[in-house]
Amino acid sequence: MTISADFDQGAFVRALLDPELPPPNELETPGGFRPERRFAVYRNNVCVGLVDALAERFPICLQLVGDEFFRAMAQCYVRERLPRTPMLFEYGDAFATFVSNFKPARELPYLPDVARLEYAVGAAYHAADAAPLPLELIRALPLDRLESATAVLHPSTQVVASAYPIVSIWRRHMSDEKMKPLELDRGEEALVVRPELAISVSPLPSGGSDFVDALRSGGTFGEAVNAATAVAMDFKLTDCLRELLLTGVFVAVSVAH
Amino acid sequence: MGARSAPEHCRERAASSLPARAGVGFKSVHFPDIEASARDVGFFEIHAENYMGAGGTPHAQLMPLRRDSPLSIHGVGLSIGGAEPLDRAHLGRLKTLVERYDPAAFSEHLAWSTQGTRFLNDLLPLPYNATTLAHVVAHVDEIQEALGRPILLENPAAYLRFQSSEYSEIEFLREVVRRTDCRLLLDVTNAYVSAANLGFSADEYIDAFPMSYVEEIHLAGYADDVDEVGAPLLIDAHCAPVPDAVWRLYDRALARRGPVATLIEWDNNIPSWPTLLAQATQAEAFLGRRRRAVEDSLRSEALHDDLG
Amino acid sequence: MSDKKLCAAIAIAGAFATAVALAETAKAANDQEKCFGVSLKGKNDCAAGPGTSCAGTSKTNYQGDAWKYVPKGTCTSIVTPKGKGSLEPISH
Repeated sequence: MTISADFDQGAFVRALLDPELPPPNELETPGGFRPERRFAVYRNNVCVGLVDALAERFPICLQLVGDEFFRAMAQCYVRERLPRTPMLFEYGDAFATFVSNFKPARELPYLPDVARLEYAVGAAYHAADAAPLPLELIRALPLDRLESATAVLHPSTQVVASAYPIVSIWRRHMSDEKMKPLELDRGEEALVVRPELAISVSPLPSGGSDFVDALRSGGTFGEAVNAATAVAMDFKLTDCLRELLLTGVFVAVSVAH
Repeated sequence: MGARSAPEHCRERAASSLPARAGVGFKSVHFPDIEASARDVGFFEIHAENYMGAGGTPHAQLMPLRRDSPLSIHGVGLSIGGAEPLDRAHLGRLKTLVERYDPAAFSEHLAWSTQGTRFLNDLLPLPYNATTLAHVVAHVDEIQEALGRPILLENPAAYLRFQSSEYSEIEFLREVVRRTDCRLLLDVTNAYVSAANLGFSADEYIDAFPMSYVEEIHLAGYADDVDEVGAPLLIDAHCAPVPDAVWRLYDRALARRGPVATLIEWDNNIPSWPTLLAQATQAEAFLGRRRRAVEDSLRSEALHDDLG
Repeated sequence: MSDKKLCAAIAIAGAFATAVALAETAKAANDQEKCFGVSLKGKNDCAAGPGTSCAGTSKTNYQGDAWKYVPKGTCTSIVTPKGKGSLEPISH
């Protein structure tokens, strides 16, 4: 039995990703003709396939910059960072950071945060299932002891805080409604959660994302209030709780005895 | 070679319990149509990697689908044809998925898609020689061990060939089957596309294919292009109805194989549910004619026996 | 329990009670925030790309000076602090 050397997958990949390079030497066509256009099928599959995956993953970013700009930008991202697992729904985890460093997109300063929000939406889509605590049960909790209570949040829960009104931007692109021009001079903190199968994206009052982060890392409600008021003096606890209750963020609340 | 080849009595095990009917690739957008229809589809096939998240809509759709119809899971990310060791984490995820849904069949590709930590999202080609054979055999063994079942291995679509190939594709596939006791998924469109691109006869390929090991067939549309010198360059794009030439080749394969589970693959420019269903109905007609031909020949044999 | 902690406990209890009532009212009135169904994101296919061999093979180095695209989205109703037309192409 002849043992041939391993074929050079590394060289194949380099040629795949760099159109300046010729196709690998060991490839041939039946007529002995140049293999460039045939090899381009593989180049195209890799590049266009991944750009398409990003376009599906970041549809609002695509709307914000237009198809031509988005695809060219996405292609830069693909060449810089290929997926690290075969699960394409995880692809794009560094896209927001990439966009924030991408000079041609600088004139849309809110774009990275919209990308962050869209990635959170995609992650919520695939997150584990859990049943939200019904309001009747929450009402029956010993409310006077909640200060030292902790909570289990729905696995899909995510928050994205931005200096721009990202929830408003997201919503106006998800709906066809005509709306009045959007002022960019205020920030929004987005709450993303998928208690059943539909994904909810809603704004939290200022400090709300710190409140949620504190609860998620195991902090008590008292500690979460402190975390929120540390960044937002006028943190509106009631409004924040109303939003969290309405969207089904709480899966369990444990009250210490 | 004796050490690797499976004992003869083990060769009876089937890798697939899919019915000999036409199935379709399941697309999320079709779910409401499927729920509302009489669901007259032989089976559904999904891409494993789309169902490796923990929950949400993908699983909420797949659970009722699996309850009511046979399911085939088709992997696109194991990189069986690569020289590198398999991604154990990915194999673990696959094992979890297969255990969760206990599909009628699991299939993967004779191709590679991962290099180092980079996933290239395409089914890339390999030369067919002793070295690559050893890698493929080791990988198929490892997957079958992990999943506790034989898998189906699919023939790829080729655009180029390697100077370092020592086996034909069919010789290579035969060797993999002999050494791993896996089974085969014959993609008739890939055979047609490869034949056109590499200048061999698709009919001869089908006639030489180890048909007794085929437990599923794939059919799809391809895209038509030409290369620099005007030679045909067909691309396996899964973007169109199955063309007539592929139906003819399919019938040729069925004549040798007999009726077998057949999937309509349509992944790009996804059609409406009725359009997809019409393709499955067409495949079902081929299967029906072949089934009747088998029955007729059995009847005439029985008649012969009676007369004899 | 310190006075401060007691105050916090009372504040949280009050906020929770009000929030539960508000949430119940909102749910009953069905005016909760609109939820959007979102389709499968980032899916794997085993198909080749869009069926041509030319797209995605451009040799242009978009990262450098050769960048030729400007963002021209479909949304023209965003007002920047600088004024109108944030999405108009800006000439450099």
